[in-house]
Amino acid sequence: MKNSTDRRLFLNWIGWGILAGSALSFFPSLVWAKTAFDYALEGQGLIASKEYRKACKALQKAIHLDPTSDWAYGLLGRAYYGLGEKAKAVEAFRKAVRLNPADTYSRMMIEIITQKPVPRLEKKERPLAPLEQEAKAEEEAMLNRVRSTGSLTYQVNRIVIDAGHGGFDPGAVGPTGLKEKDVTLDLAWRLQRRLSDIGKIKSFLTRTQDYYIPLSDRTVIANQHQADLFISIHINANNNPKAHGSETYYCSEKASSKEAARVAAFENSVLKYDKPFKKKLGYIDIEEILFRFEQRMYWNESGRFARTFQKRFRTALPLKDRGVHSANFFVLRRAKMPSILLEIGFISNSDDEARLKRGKFREKIVDAVVKGLS
Amino acid sequence: MILRFLATVTLIPLLCFASPKFAKALDVNDLIFRGADYHYKGDLDHAIKQFREAVRIEPENEYAHNQLGILYAKKGRFKEAFLEFQKVVEIDHQNTYALLWLGILYLRENDLKRAFDKFQEIVRIDPNNADAYYFLGTIYNFRHNPAKAIEYLKKARDADSDEPDTHYRLARAFHNLDMTSNALLEYQKTLELKPNYTKAINGIGWIYYNQGRIDMAIKEWKKTLAINPRDRDAIFNLTKAYNDLAWKALREKDIKRAVFYWKETLAINPKNKAALYYLKRYKSR
Repeated sequence: MKNSTDRRLFLNWIGWGILAGSALSFFPSLVWAKTAFDYALEGQGLIASKEYRKACKALQKAIHLDPTSDWAYGLLGRAYYGLGEKAKAVEAFRKAVRLNPADTYSRMMIEIITQKPVPRLEKKERPLAPLEQEAKAEEEAMLNRVRSTGSLTYQVNRIVIDAGHGGFDPGAVGPTGLKEKDVTLDLAWRLQRRLSDIGKIKSFLTRTQDYYIPLSDRTVIANQHQADLFISIHINANNNPKAHGSETYYCSEKASSKEAARVAAFENSVLKYDKPFKKKLGYIDIEEILFRFEQRMYWNESGRFARTFQKRFRTALPLKDRGVHSANFFVLRRAKMPSILLEIGFISNSDDEARLKRGKFREKIVDAVVKGLS
Repeated sequence: MILRFLATVTLIPLLCFASPKFAKALDVNDLIFRGADYHYKGDLDHAIKQFREAVRIEPENEYAHNQLGILYAKKGRFKEAFLEFQKVVEIDHQNTYALLWLGILYLRENDLKRAFDKFQEIVRIDPNNADAYYFLGTIYNFRHNPAKAIEYLKKARDADSDEPDTHYRLARAFHNLDMTSNALLEYQKTLELKPNYTKAINGIGWIYYNQGRIDMAIKEWKKTLAINPRDRDAIFNLTKAYNDLAWKALREKDIKRAVFYWKETLAINPKNKAALYYLKRYKSR
């Protein structure tokens, strides 16, 4: 009896074992779950048999289990590409490259697909953060007020007016004691008042009183206010008391004369900060191309403004036209906008000094500058 | 790892055979893959060799011509690069990648008008082209037309929001219009994507400074110096901030505080003429 019971029990166990074994062979996932690798491998096989839709499903499961699998993302890109869903393919390939920058195939596929238009993927809307809400309200209010044109003409809406010298640095001093720093400050104030009356251009002064500001700080102020033009006002001087007239300087790659080059070399010798730019071989830096383009464009615009102002001075002021000069001034180069330096008259010339003392003459200078801006 | 390698290796020939003209395509695909691999690994000469062979076999292969264009540009052979991209456009006028590079090469040549036209041509073909919008917005930024710059840079941002340069330039355009909340938001997004983007940190500094939050501005510029101790913008910005504080203290007749700030100026910029002069004058008082 005992033997027959044991045998039955034994057979029972065998039966259950066979049943479980067959179940496992047909449904292995009943005992151990598939890994990300298994799904990715399955996806790869499905891509090879061109069953792209099924491949996508398998690969998405792989990514769900292992979001760091660049391999699965690369395969997903291929599956989407097979389905003709280019935007999704690019997205998947980009993720693969982000996870593994050495993935040549995915990088290549991004470049091949994006050579031509790729439809855009729908973006999910999400609630705005407080700063985003504030920004949205600000944008709606501002952009309604600002009229934009598609014109590529350089636009001047805000300028920084720099009164040359100041404080312990009087600049040049005239035969009767007129100081350059006082004339430039007064001219700067007058120009700002005039621009404020006209109302089209917002202006900022680098100094409002009699104190010294280093040259470097002056262009920083122009950058601080995101100015469109930097005008530095100066009065010239010379050992020859007969020297007279007005001239305008601007920053350029090449000096317009030996004298301009000498002046720029002297200025540049003082400041040394960054290591000189070294061109990387085998590499194209788009931002560097843009930076150089921007710089050259500002220099060209500076030249255009310099010529305009000089023309205005020639016609509006009883001063000899000494022309426009340019050189690579390190400090002017720091300005992220066109910048010019006006030398209006010679304080060392007694006739010019007498004129510069008169309020009416100063108003004429301001007239010429304002016309130059219009 | 080995299994994964084998799996990948088996797939490449499968993809190659998928081409209808597989006998020819096998060679070209192989050359292109090898060329791309050399290119990404920085071996430009070998990459050029592979792609030149590819265009010899298949003269109308746009990708190979585009790659040659990029490789020539990287070698500083810009005229040859230009010809390659032009060739692509002749093969297919819708190839926006080649058009984009033609625009970039025009910018490099300082030819604003032609560059602008190329980028506009791209957005006419592909209204979702983030790169073309980026360049158009950037050109308007350079022309100090912030409203137009914002219009295009927003399109670039919305088409592809993962480029820190797009967010930075958009921030600049907003900043230029005194739209400080938007500017701050875009500067912050720039830094989320690229935390060491010092120009964005410096921009945030100016927003705080112009709002009168000088301590916060100083903190920002010091962050920049922690990343790059030679950053000239941060050095000059800090110098200006400390000099302004010193000047304010002097006007309030607080010489001790003024002296403190001039010393701070000199710690950042030891040659600052104003701080050197005033410190000498007021230190002993």
